[in-house]
Amino acid sequence: MFGCNLEHRATSVSQLLLGFNVLMLQADSLHVVRSNKAVLNDISFTVQRGEVYALLGGNGAGKSTTLLSFLGFLLPSQGRVLVKDKDVGADVMAARRAISYLPESASLYEHLNAIENLQYFLGLAGVDVTLGDMDTVLDRVSLAPDARKRNLRDYSKGMRQKVAIALAMLRNSDILLLDEPTSGLDPNAIDELHRIIRGLADAGKAILMVTHDVYGACQVADRIGLLHSGNLVGEFVAQGDDRIDTNAVHTAFASKANSSSLLSNPPSSNPQLSKV
Amino acid sequence: MNQILGVAADEWRYWRRSHLALGGAIVFLILVISTSLLNMLRIDAETHARSQNQTQAEDTFRAQPDRHPHRMVHYGHYVFRAPAPLAIFDPGLDFVTGQSIFLEGHRQNTAMFAESSSSADFGGLSYLSPALIYQLFAPLIIILLAHGAIVREREAGMLVSLLSLGLTGSRLLLGKGLALLSFIVILLLPLVLTCLFAVARGETFSAVLSLFGAYLAYLLLWGVIALWFAAIVHKRGTALAALTGLWFVMTLILPSVAVNIASNKAPVAGKIETDLALLAEQRGLGDGHNANDPAFAQLRAELLAKYGVQRLEDLPMNFRGLVATSAEEKLTTVLNEYAEKRMAGEVHQEQILINHAWLTPSLAISFVSRSLAGTDLAHYHRFQKEAEALRFSFVQGLNRAHAEKVSYEDDINRNKSEASWQRVRVSAANWQVLGAYQFQTASLSDRISTSLFSLRILLIWLLAFLCLFLWSGWRIKP
Repeated sequence: MFGCNLEHRATSVSQLLLGFNVLMLQADSLHVVRSNKAVLNDISFTVQRGEVYALLGGNGAGKSTTLLSFLGFLLPSQGRVLVKDKDVGADVMAARRAISYLPESASLYEHLNAIENLQYFLGLAGVDVTLGDMDTVLDRVSLAPDARKRNLRDYSKGMRQKVAIALAMLRNSDILLLDEPTSGLDPNAIDELHRIIRGLADAGKAILMVTHDVYGACQVADRIGLLHSGNLVGEFVAQGDDRIDTNAVHTAFASKANSSSLLSNPPSSNPQLSKV
Repeated sequence: MNQILGVAADEWRYWRRSHLALGGAIVFLILVISTSLLNMLRIDAETHARSQNQTQAEDTFRAQPDRHPHRMVHYGHYVFRAPAPLAIFDPGLDFVTGQSIFLEGHRQNTAMFAESSSSADFGGLSYLSPALIYQLFAPLIIILLAHGAIVREREAGMLVSLLSLGLTGSRLLLGKGLALLSFIVILLLPLVLTCLFAVARGETFSAVLSLFGAYLAYLLLWGVIALWFAAIVHKRGTALAALTGLWFVMTLILPSVAVNIASNKAPVAGKIETDLALLAEQRGLGDGHNANDPAFAQLRAELLAKYGVQRLEDLPMNFRGLVATSAEEKLTTVLNEYAEKRMAGEVHQEQILINHAWLTPSLAISFVSRSLAGTDLAHYHRFQKEAEALRFSFVQGLNRAHAEKVSYEDDINRNKSEASWQRVRVSAANWQVLGAYQFQTASLSDRISTSLFSLRILLIWLLAFLCLFLWSGWRIKP
């Protein structure tokens, strides 16, 4: 615990040095309509450099739509989305170049092995890396060396997710968008992934992740936005060295999202909801 | 450009690792190479045999002993049509039209199926030509390879990952298109090899290049159609089912329906009814063997008046020979009218068929291919016309010898004694009226001009689907 506090303080210093508090992502009164149905209503939030922001919500809350808006695949019907202070609609390609996107199920080619996938996707992104760089990052995500030359059709979901994360890391973008990154992973893999995400944020990346995993979000996020039926109904902020209180988020999530099946523990009676 | 090349390279890698696609391509290449070899051997043998037969027929005619010239008119002569060099790739109509004609006086015989080896082909299996394989089966291989190009990524939810890298849908599709284009070029290699053999047999490089270009456009069209489908549908199975259905309709059903429509819309008179109509008309022309036929009374009167004599015996030429000449001329005019009418009917049928190329590019490429190969209807008609010109020339040459070298008196008394019979025999030197014959493929500009309409339809098909292809690339979204 003591070590954790020290580490967090050190990170705060590095954050100062790296010029944190720069807005990397910004949703400004974002409205999105899909098939004549309002999917996002007046959503506003920001993600800063070095910050992990988790959008928490049930199915159909509009989480993935938010990510697709930042990538310019869905344009706002009202409001705007900004990436590095630039309107995404004005230059979609610039936004996409600045972002590494990790979809829910790692979208990689099954006929290729891990190295080939990395080479191919990085080549398309115009990122030049060596085999050594790839091995280093694959080591960091703990993908066994003997698995790297096997085609992905033989991989478990966790292994694929590791390759996808390695890809996001190797792209070395300032911003990461993660769509349900822990979905389908075993507990060890989830812990490992959280450690990596936290490390990336501490290295200065701005990370927006969408999830319905309350515990995971509380463990890794600096801020959590609670999304319900396309509305941002609350936001939780980590205070100092403390992580966001899981029970507080539980309570708000259960009452707003009406998705008690997602919760394994009863909600706390003392929610630390900063904004509803 | 790097992105497009990257996508193309990965598509190739996918195909290499996908055994089905690879297997299909290998089967196609084996099929087309083996058919090309078989066709080449067959055409070589036919060329040799026809050339030999032609020489033999000419030698035999010229080697005839002294005879009455009209006996030589009925002795007749054969002409053979040597296959065009590119017939080794596309035999076209040669499979269904005759290649030799018996030339004789007073008749226009139809071309005959000359190859005795054809009798072994009870199943019509030797009709499989390299051109047919390219027209029918190459599109199927392309569909097999390309149907999953974009829909595969869409089904696996990969489009969002790919497009989030800064890759546009258009570049993704162009990359797939580039891979397919290179595959199509490989598919066309056997065509190039086959055509090089045609060059060795006298064909021009330009003709070979034109043929290559036409097939490239045709296969590219199928590639563009397949990629367009793959880009707009959401399930791979749907793409495969729709494309194979389209292939079935375009390559098998529509051409067959078009042939039936053409033969019903523009029926051509059959041989029996044509022969009966000709016979009726021929009666009015008079019998060229009978100088006393009333049909030649006017000729007789004119000649007697012209030379100021009272008897046919006093004419400076043999009246019977002049009658034969005149009768042959009149008859040939009528025969040519019938032949022109029949050919016009066939051309009309062909035009109706070509118009159906607006519905299926398979018809367009088959017409372009035959025209460029020199195995189309135009070449067949030209062979018939050249054969007829040769027939008329040698028959009239013999009739001239009949008129000029045999006296009328000897001629009418030829059966009365051996001496008079001997006197109506003319020297064999007169058989040299027969000119040598060799069928030549039309010049490339003529062949291109014949194929221009179909070629234009093919290019319009390609242009239309290229527009759809580019539009679908622009519309690709996760």
